[in-house]
Amino acid sequence: MGGQVLPEAAPAQTPDRPEPRMEDAEPAPGPTVVDTPPSGPIKIAARDVSVFYDGKQALYDVSLDIPDKTVTALIGPSGCGKSTFLRTMNRMNDTISGAKVTGRIAMDDEDINDRSIDPVLLRARVGMVFQRPNPFPKSIYENVAYGPKIHGLVSAKSEMDGVVESALKRAGLWEEVADRLQSSAMGLSGGQQQRLVIARAIAVNPEVILMDEPCSALDPIATARIEELIDELRERFCIVIVTHSMAQAARVSQRTAFFHMGRLVETGDTETIFQNPRERRTLDYITGRFG
Amino acid sequence: MIWILLLILAALAAAAFVGGRTLAQGRFRGVRAHSRPAQHGAYALIWVAAPALVVLMLAGIFAAPIERQLTAAGTPDAVAALEPFRREAFFADAHRLGRGEPALQIWERPLAEQLPVEARRMVRVERTLQWGAAVAAVLAAIMGGLFAFSQIRPNVRARNRVEGWIWGALFVCSAVAVLTTIGIIASLAFDAFRFFQHVPVTEFLFGTQWSPQIAIRADQVGSSGAFGAVPLFAGTLLIMLIAMLVAAPIGLLSAIYLSEYAGRTARAVIKPVLEILAGVPTVVYGFFAALTVGPALRVFFNEIGLFLIGGPLDGLGQYLALVQNQMALTAGAVMGIMLIPFVSSLSDDILNAVPQSLRDGSFAMGATKSETVKRVLLPAALPGIAGALLLAAVSRAIGETMIVTMAAGLAANLTFNPLDTVTTVTVQIVTLLTGDQEFNSAKTLSAFGLGLTLFLVTLMLNIVAQRIVQTYREQYD
Repeated sequence: MGGQVLPEAAPAQTPDRPEPRMEDAEPAPGPTVVDTPPSGPIKIAARDVSVFYDGKQALYDVSLDIPDKTVTALIGPSGCGKSTFLRTMNRMNDTISGAKVTGRIAMDDEDINDRSIDPVLLRARVGMVFQRPNPFPKSIYENVAYGPKIHGLVSAKSEMDGVVESALKRAGLWEEVADRLQSSAMGLSGGQQQRLVIARAIAVNPEVILMDEPCSALDPIATARIEELIDELRERFCIVIVTHSMAQAARVSQRTAFFHMGRLVETGDTETIFQNPRERRTLDYITGRFG
Repeated sequence: MIWILLLILAALAAAAFVGGRTLAQGRFRGVRAHSRPAQHGAYALIWVAAPALVVLMLAGIFAAPIERQLTAAGTPDAVAALEPFRREAFFADAHRLGRGEPALQIWERPLAEQLPVEARRMVRVERTLQWGAAVAAVLAAIMGGLFAFSQIRPNVRARNRVEGWIWGALFVCSAVAVLTTIGIIASLAFDAFRFFQHVPVTEFLFGTQWSPQIAIRADQVGSSGAFGAVPLFAGTLLIMLIAMLVAAPIGLLSAIYLSEYAGRTARAVIKPVLEILAGVPTVVYGFFAALTVGPALRVFFNEIGLFLIGGPLDGLGQYLALVQNQMALTAGAVMGIMLIPFVSSLSDDILNAVPQSLRDGSFAMGATKSETVKRVLLPAALPGIAGALLLAAVSRAIGETMIVTMAAGLAANLTFNPLDTVTTVTVQIVTLLTGDQEFNSAKTLSAFGLGLTLFLVTLMLNIVAQRIVQTYREQYD
């Protein structure tokens, strides 16, 4: 993009010094969307989202549009709030006592924090994959059938077989486990477990899949498989992925948002962010100067 | 006397430490020594303390027999001529007199004159022995210290030697517990063996009649002397089952509440209260069972009996209306209440051991809390909980004594009716071994047979439970 640098962005010139958390050091409140907007239809629109844990603010006024059928990468140094933001989108912060979320997050123009929205139903629409593979200590089949079962999506056993098979196929795991569906999921390798967890998430046919550093516990080969899978899943789902790996963000995502110290610094098309970032802090981070 | 000696030894040990360290510092100047001076000091300290303590221990063990030998050697004829137990009494009185206490008995003429003489002699013997032991201990300490000092050379591995001593000391401490257990088992087994010489094992294990009173006269009533332990084990089992029926569901559900549902404040209040409940002495539960629960249940069931039958004297009514205060249900229910905190805190621990990531995974799939508990947490935790229940709760229920003594009754009925009076193994052991005993009758010895059987049953349960818990733990490793 270029040419859109605002004068307010001046403090970013000293990125190594911790940014003072004072209101006057921030850009003026209001629509700060100076980044290139996504081209496709918007799936999730976050406006001024802040998160507090026991009164301590972890996320400051994040406004971000997440397009459908696209992979959006959230990058930034540890503790920058990217995972926190991810967890606001399926209201997983509700499960943490003392957590409070303010602002508006709209999914298909519907406020997901509205009282009429049941977080349990929301989570059926927004799947999540965690940092460490967390299959349930059950059989492979039972793991994938978990979601359809609790949501009553299928009734007949044969139908369930079909759901399990197609989910495993889409997760690229079917060939490896077809002959041992009834054996324990704990016996799979880390990479297989992570693909199983993805299969579990897509078995309920969600609209959005949130991934919280899905490859951080995996070896490079398993990581490559997951990245391939993410690229395939993009055609059907809106995917948001938190990652520590610049290279991964560049490889799998079309949109990138850079977080720093609880604030969204910059967002745009991945190519732009990596080749021509607007903010000095973004450049410093992606070139490995801090974080 | 002994305190002064110990003080002296402590001072010697401290001096050995300081001396050893200083000596080592001096000898190692400019040399690369294997161990640091302080380690040589510690080595010297050990060599001062250990031999002295060994000498004192030996003195403690052998002082009494040696003293007896010495006093017996010089006894006057009048004393030697006494019967053994009278002689013991005489020596005991001489002892007391020597210590300045009055004699317990009045001794007749020749002995009365001998008594002060003997007392003085005994004091002398005792003094000599004590001084001997003290001098030997100090000598041992000094010799040990000199040995350690001779070992202060750069190439001596004092560090490893000190480690070896520490290893030994720690090993002895853990061996004490093991040896004590072995000793308990041995004494139990020995007396149980004596019992099984009176009563065959098969009769004891499979007999259905328990009546340990042995007839003294042929025509005595109710003293058949039967030793069939089945009614006791049946009673124990019945009460244990009732207790588990009360404790397992309530304890497990309260653990689920505490670990999954309760907020911070509720947890902060309920957990300590449960722990207090766990600390209530069982005898207090016993009162509660005997004086509150028992009468309440009796009235309740007798009312039901009256209501069903209309009168206490016909058919079923007779049975129902004659419920007593003491019954299996009372003991079992109160024991169950006693076990709730154990079950709850054990289950709580196991539920907390289930990784948070599994909960997150389930919540992220859109499962509610109860679905998560039912489908993920419980399947993952149940084997562990079952093991823990078996391990702690069942063993406790079987071994519990006070509540059943006060609330279950004494009649050895072979029944599975929870409204009947039953008795348990522990209750019988208590009744058999309280008061004056003769340790050569089958009646008293049967307590050891019961004790050994109970011990073996609990041991087996523990082994099974350990296995279950172990296989469960491997799941997450």
